Parts: sequence; structure tokens; C-alpha cells
Amino acid sequence: MSVILSIPTLAFISILQSAVVSRLPLNQGIADLMLVLLVAIALQKKVNTAWQWSIIGGLLTDFNSGLPFGIFTASYLLATALATVLRERIWRFSFLMQLLVVLAGTLVSQVLSYLVFFLGGTSLDFVTVLRVITMPSIILNFMLSLPIFVLTRDVLDQINPQEQNA
Amino acid sequence: MKNRFPQSLRLIIISLVAIGVLALALSGTFTSLSRWVATPITAVQTWVSRQYQGVENLLSASQDIQEIRQQNTALEAENARMQAQIVGLQQQLVEFEILSALLEFARANPEHQYSGASIIGRDPSPFLNYIIINRGADDGLRRGMPVVTQNGLAGRIVQVTASAARVSLITDPAARINVRIEPSRSPAVLTGSITGDITLEQIPQDADVNPGNLILTSGLGGNYPANIIVGQITSVRSRENALFQSASVQPVTDFSDLSIVLVITNFEPVDFSPLIPEAGTP
Repeated sequence: MSVILSIPTLAFISILQSAVVSRLPLNQGIADLMLVLLVAIALQKKVNTAWQWSIIGGLLTDFNSGLPFGIFTASYLLATALATVLRERIWRFSFLMQLLVVLAGTLVSQVLSYLVFFLGGTSLDFVTVLRVITMPSIILNFMLSLPIFVLTRDVLDQINPQEQNA
Repeated sequence: MKNRFPQSLRLIIISLVAIGVLALALSGTFTSLSRWVATPITAVQTWVSRQYQGVENLLSASQDIQEIRQQNTALEAENARMQAQIVGLQQQLVEFEILSALLEFARANPEHQYSGASIIGRDPSPFLNYIIINRGADDGLRRGMPVVTQNGLAGRIVQVTASAARVSLITDPAARINVRIEPSRSPAVLTGSITGDITLEQIPQDADVNPGNLILTSGLGGNYPANIIVGQITSVRSRENALFQSASVQPVTDFSDLSIVLVITNFEPVDFSPLIPEAGTP
């Protein structure tokens, strides 16, 4: 899948994340639309540009966030790595793989964010973070996973059949 | 066959019969007979007429239905347009009310200069209570400028680009604001939290603090101008063996419904960092 296509697509997703998705919290948790989309792309067989998409998506989200630069890029790259490993190791993956990788990516992102606050001298109660941010974020990401997984698969089949059917 | 009557006689007989029939009809002799004949004819005619009217109605109704459908489509389009117009007007009304309230706030606090800005997004990280506004360095905004709403303090600018700025809300876990409690004028530190609640810390034990007291910025620390309302105390926690009291605060600003804010542009935050002694220096 073309890397050129990733820039406008992910820029739009980044805008959508900031302008809409971040304004729809569950408790204090927020869905990570970019993560869910990147995982859905990385899990599609024969897509060989998942890494580039992850880097571009991570940089765009880092640019939009007040967290130290690189947190989201690192999270997305780790999620993509896990998705790639699962895709290559497991012959027949399913939607459950999407949920598993989204769960892992969300946890990595949250742990890195927690560490940033911890190292910056702001103490956050771990149980409270788990209760008001992590769990709601995971639930929201799971809710987004099915439609985005199906949509991504169908769109990739339509716009890039030679890559999908190679 | 030979005719038995001459021509003139036939004419006379026919005339007489006709006159006789006419006379009988005029005298009402044929009334019952005509009723007996006319009743079935009328019934048949009525039935035929009804069938004809039915067919006629059916043919004309198809034309009417077409017209009604066209009218319905046009009305539906008009209705949708009006609905969109109503939504737009309602949105404009809400914005107008907010702008009016902001103008009132600016008039009530004439010592500051303000720049209005719309909120265009929130930080993608749930750990940060940051908003993004559509004004930046090109509009004269600088890092550290306080941000208020029509109700009171909202936060301060932490990052500026040419056309946008990132604002840290007072509910952010890293927020620390020097405030004073009215009417006791006791100093305290307002802190945000990961849950979005704000609390007062470091309230002196001897301070007379009660639910309902107002919280205003004190100006200490140089990060915010003094006398901007922040919230109201909802509950106080005091322990005998503790150094300080603490309190829960209800902010005056509804952070879940922010759309337009004012940036105080004539406030210069004071940088105290050169005055803070480094570790190890006497």
C-alpha cells in the first residue's frame, strides 16, 4: 500500500482524533483512533508498508500531543511489531488478533505516559489511572476495533487488489 | 299483401291512437306503468354511473398522487433546509450567548486585554487535560498567557505555534496554581488530578475555611494575574496531626462544554527560575 497515501489519510485521522474522538471521553479515557487503524492495517496480509504507516501516524500524533515527542511513535511501532509477528506466526488470524494487539498497544502507550509523569515528578495513583483512564480507553478502543478492522480490510481490497492478491 | 285500409284512414287511426295515448299519459294512467319500467332502468343507470365515476376517480387520482408526491418531495426538501437553518441559528445563538458572557467578563475586568479564541481540539493523550485553540503567535499569543472563560479561570498557554496554541487546563494533573480563599484570604495551592477534579492543598491549619468559600488566584508565583475566580469549596478535610488542611473545589468553568475562551494578552508571566538556588549552593 502506498506510503504517499498514508500522509493525507493519517493526517485526516489525526485531525479527527483531536477534534472529535478526544472530545468523547468515557470517564477520563479516550479512544486512540490512530492506534486502532494502524493495527488494522498492520494485520492485513501482504501489506508491506505497515512500518512506514506507523511511523507517520506516530509522528502526527506526537505532533498533536503535549506528551514528550516519541511516546506515540514508540507505542505504535511496538503495536505494529506485535501485529507483524502475529501475522507471520499464525496461519489464520481473526478479529481476535486485532483486539489482542490493540490491547497491547493501549497498555504500552499508557505505561509510557505514566512513566513520563512519574519521571517528571507528578505522582499519579496507579489504581486510579487504571480505573479512570486505562480501562475506559481499552473499552473505547475495543468498540472501535470491529468497524475499523472490517472497513480497513474492505478498503484495502478495493483500492489495492494487486497487493492484497499478490 | 293488399292493404285493407286506405292511406288517409291509417293516418286518422294513428293520430287518434297517439292522441289517446297522450290523453291517457296526461291523465296519469301510465304513472304506475312508467314507475315499474323506470325503476330498474334507474338502478342500472345508477350502477353504471357509479362504475364510471370510480374509473374516472382512479384515473384522476393517479395524476393527483403524482402531484402529491412531487409536493411531498418538495416539502421534505424544504423541511430539511429549514431544519438545517434552525440548527445553524441555534448554534449561532449559543455562540452569541457565550460571546455576550465573555464580553461581560471583559467589561467587568477592564484591567486586562483579551483575545478571543475557539477550541478546535483536545490532546489525544488522556493523561493531559489540554485543549487546542485557533489562535497562535501570529495573533500575539505567547507561552504562559492565562486563559479564562466567562465564568473564570480555565488555564494557561503552554505551547504556541503560528496559528494555534495548546492550553493546559487547571484540571491537568501537573497544574499547580497559587490561590487565596475568600473571605479568610488564606493562601493555598490548587492542584489538578487525573480524574479531572481539583483540590486545594497547603491550607494553613488555623485558616477558617468552609464550604461555599470562593477561590481566587493570588498572583503569587507570577504565573497568573490576581483576583480571577477559580471555583468554590465544596468540602474541607482537616486532621489534627496534619500540617495543612485540604479541600475539594468545584470549578466555576464547565470544562466538558468549552467552546470559546479569552486569552489575557497583556499579562507577562514572571520567571523565577534564576532566583531559585541550585542544589549544593550555599
